[in-house]
Amino acid sequence: MINLTLQIAALQPQVSIDLIKIMDQRLLAIEKRSAFLQGILDQPEAPPEEYSRANKELRKLSSTITLINKLRIKQEEIGSLKSLMAECQEDNDMQDMATEELGQAMEEEKRLQTVLLMSLMPRDDADERGCILEVRAGTGGEEASLFAMDVFKMYERYSLKKGWKFEVVELAESDLKGFKEASAAITGAGVYGKLKFESGIHRVQRVPVTEKSGRVHTSAVSVAILPQADEVDVQLRNEDLRIDTYRSGGSGGQHANTTNSAVRITHIPTGMTVAIQDERSQHMVVILTLATSLFALLLFIVFVLKNKAKALKVLCARLYEVERSRVHMNRSKLRSDQIGSGDRSERIRTYNFPQGRVTDHRVGITYHSINDVMQGETLDAFVDALLLQQEMDAIASFSSTI
Amino acid sequence: MKLSLTRTSLSSVLAPLLCNSHPSRRPISSLSVSHRPTSLSPETTPLFLRPPTSSASLSDLLKFRNWAETLSSSTGASFSALDNGPDTHLLLRELTWLLEDALENPKTLAYCIPSAVSNDLLVSLRADLEELYTLWKQRIDERRPFQYIVGCEHWRDLVLGVREGVLIPRPETEHVVDLVSDAIKGNDELGDGLWADLGTGSGALAIGIARILRDRGMVIATDLSPVAVEVASFNVQRYNLQDKVAIRQGSWFGPLKEAEGDLVGLVSNPPYIPTEHIDGLQAEVKHEPRLALDGGTDGIGDLLYLCNGAVSMLKPGGFFAFETNGEKQCKFLVDYMETKLKGSFNDVNIVSDFAGIQRFVTGFRSR
Repeated sequence: MINLTLQIAALQPQVSIDLIKIMDQRLLAIEKRSAFLQGILDQPEAPPEEYSRANKELRKLSSTITLINKLRIKQEEIGSLKSLMAECQEDNDMQDMATEELGQAMEEEKRLQTVLLMSLMPRDDADERGCILEVRAGTGGEEASLFAMDVFKMYERYSLKKGWKFEVVELAESDLKGFKEASAAITGAGVYGKLKFESGIHRVQRVPVTEKSGRVHTSAVSVAILPQADEVDVQLRNEDLRIDTYRSGGSGGQHANTTNSAVRITHIPTGMTVAIQDERSQHMVVILTLATSLFALLLFIVFVLKNKAKALKVLCARLYEVERSRVHMNRSKLRSDQIGSGDRSERIRTYNFPQGRVTDHRVGITYHSINDVMQGETLDAFVDALLLQQEMDAIASFSSTI
Repeated sequence: MKLSLTRTSLSSVLAPLLCNSHPSRRPISSLSVSHRPTSLSPETTPLFLRPPTSSASLSDLLKFRNWAETLSSSTGASFSALDNGPDTHLLLRELTWLLEDALENPKTLAYCIPSAVSNDLLVSLRADLEELYTLWKQRIDERRPFQYIVGCEHWRDLVLGVREGVLIPRPETEHVVDLVSDAIKGNDELGDGLWADLGTGSGALAIGIARILRDRGMVIATDLSPVAVEVASFNVQRYNLQDKVAIRQGSWFGPLKEAEGDLVGLVSNPPYIPTEHIDGLQAEVKHEPRLALDGGTDGIGDLLYLCNGAVSMLKPGGFFAFETNGEKQCKFLVDYMETKLKGSFNDVNIVSDFAGIQRFVTGFRSR
C-alpha cells in the first residue's frame, strides 16, 4: 500500500506558470462574454428568444464567473499587500503581518487557480451516467469462461459496495457453468465515470480448475463499458429498424392462432439485433415503428413491459456508443494516447494468481492482494490512479489546444 | 397516453360533420349506439377481471400446476407437426399466464418453495380449482384457444375481452392502427373525422383507432354477429370510449348509410380465408366463428365488396386499410382498383407484416 500512495503523490499535477498564462487568456475571454450577455439581458427591448438564449448561456457560466471574481479579488489583495510591504519596509511588525497575510493569500490564489483549471477541462458528459457492462470470454476456452464469471462477479460486488444497482441483462453459460458472455446494467450516480477505464482485455494467469498437471495457463476476457443512453440521445428512426417475427412459415393472419409474440429488431445501420420474447402482446414492435423519438417509446415500454425495457437499454447504449466513437474519432488526434479511449482490444490488466497480484498496464500500478481485487474491495485504487492520469492528460491537451 | 374526452354525446359531435354537408339527411338522433347491453352475460368477463371468490390450498394449486405441466409436455411437438399448433414451450408459457390471470396475487407461486409448502396456506383465486382443471383439459384435449380459456387477448397496448363467437384479434392486425396513425400524420383532418371499422369483432381496431384520433374523431364499428356487438361494447366501455365509438349490428355498410360520402377513414379485417382451406386450419382456429374467417371462393369476396363500397362511402381524401390473406389477394385488389375502379383511388400501397408477407392494402379516395 505504501508503494501505491507514493506513486500517486508523485503524479500530482503541478500548475505551471505557462499554464496560468494560458488560463488567464481563457478567463478574460469568459469575462468578456459574460459582460456581453449581461448587456443583452439589461436591454429592455431584447427579443424574447435572444433573451432566453443569453440567459441560458449566462447561467452555465455563472459558477465559473463566481470563481473568477473570487480570484480577481484575491489577486487585488495580493497586489495591495505587496505595495504595502514596499511602502512600510522599516515597520517590522507590519512586515511580519503583511508577509503572513501575503502567504495565505497566495495559497488561496493557487487553490482558486487549480479549481478554475479543473472546471475549464473538457468533461465527458457521460461520466455522470450509469453504464452497460459486457464481459466476454476470449481466448482460453472453458478457463476463459470461468474467469469471465469471476470478473463479472467482481464488478457485481464492487457495484454493491458502491451502492449502485446491478441488473443482470443477459447470461450465456458455458459447459462448466462459467460465462461465455454476460451483460449487466449498472445504475447510479457517476457510474460510467468510474468504470469506463475497465474497457479492454483483462488477462489472467493461473492454474485452471480443469488442469490436471498444475501448469499455469494464460487466458483473456474482454470487458466493454458503455454509458447508458438517455432517451433523447438516441434517435431510433423507423427507417433504420427491421422487425422480424419468428413465425415458422405458415400463412399467418386469420389462419393462425398463436400466443408466440417473439420478435427480433435489427438496427440496420449497425447490424445490431435485440430479441424480445415472453410478452403477451407483440405491440412492442408496433411502438418501435411508430416512435421517432425514443422518449415517447420508453414511456410506453416502462408502462407496459419491463422485459423489453432491458433489451432497449442495451440497444440504446450500443447505439450511443457508436455515435460517441464517431464523434471521438473526429477529436481523437490529440487524445489518442489518453486513457479511457475505449479501445477494446487494448490489454489493460493482468491478474496473476500464483503471484497474487494484479497489474494495470496503463498507469503501471501493481496491487498485491488479488483476492481483495476479485472481491470488489480495491478496484478504487486503480480507478483513482486512472482518473488522475486522465486529469493530467486533459491538462496536457488543454495547453496544447490554446 | 391519456386522451382527454369531452362528455358530449355522440349525436351532438356528429351533428356538425353531417348536417353541414347533407342538410337533407335524417336527424342525427338516429345515430346512437344501437346496442348497449344492460347486463353482460357472465361468459364475457375475462378471468383476470373476475372477483377472487374462490380459494385453494397452495399445495393443491401446485398439484394442479404439476399435472398441467405434465399434460402439456406430453404433447411434445405433435400439435406443431400436425397443423402448426403450439409446442410444449408455448403451452407451458400459456399455463403461467393462465395462473397469472387466475391468482389474485400472481407472485404467490414465484415465491414459494414447493417442498416447504404447508397444506394450510390458502391462496385466493378467481376461478376454483375444478374449473382450472377443466379449462386446461379443454386446452389440450380440445385445442380450445388459450384466449377463450382466459377470456382475453393482449393486443397492442390493450387487454380485450374475447369469447366463443368472436374472432381473436391477430398480432398482424395491430399494424393497421399504425397505418392509420401514419395517415393522420400526413393529414391532420383525418384525425377529426368519422371512421368506420367494418366487421369489428371484439372491437379491437375501433378501440385502437379511437385512442389515436383527435378530439372530434369518432368511430362507427359494425358487425353482423350479436355476440360480437356485445363483446365489442364491453371492451369499448372498459376503455371508457363509449362517447367516441358507436357499435352497430348489421352487415358491412348497412348500419351507416347516412354517413355515405362522409367517412374520412375505413378499416377492415374481413374474412379472407378461401372456403376450401377452412377444413385444414389449425385446430384452435376452428373454435373461432366461421363467419369471421370464411371469405368464399378465393377468399376475396368480402374484400371486393369493401373496395366497391369504399368508393361511395369515403369522402375525397379519405383513407382505407384492409387486411388480406397475403400477396395474391393484395395484388388482386390493387389490380382491381386500378382497372375496374380506375380513378377512384390514389396512393394505393401494399404493406407487409413483420413476417415479410404482403398483408395490407391501403390508399386514399381520389379528390
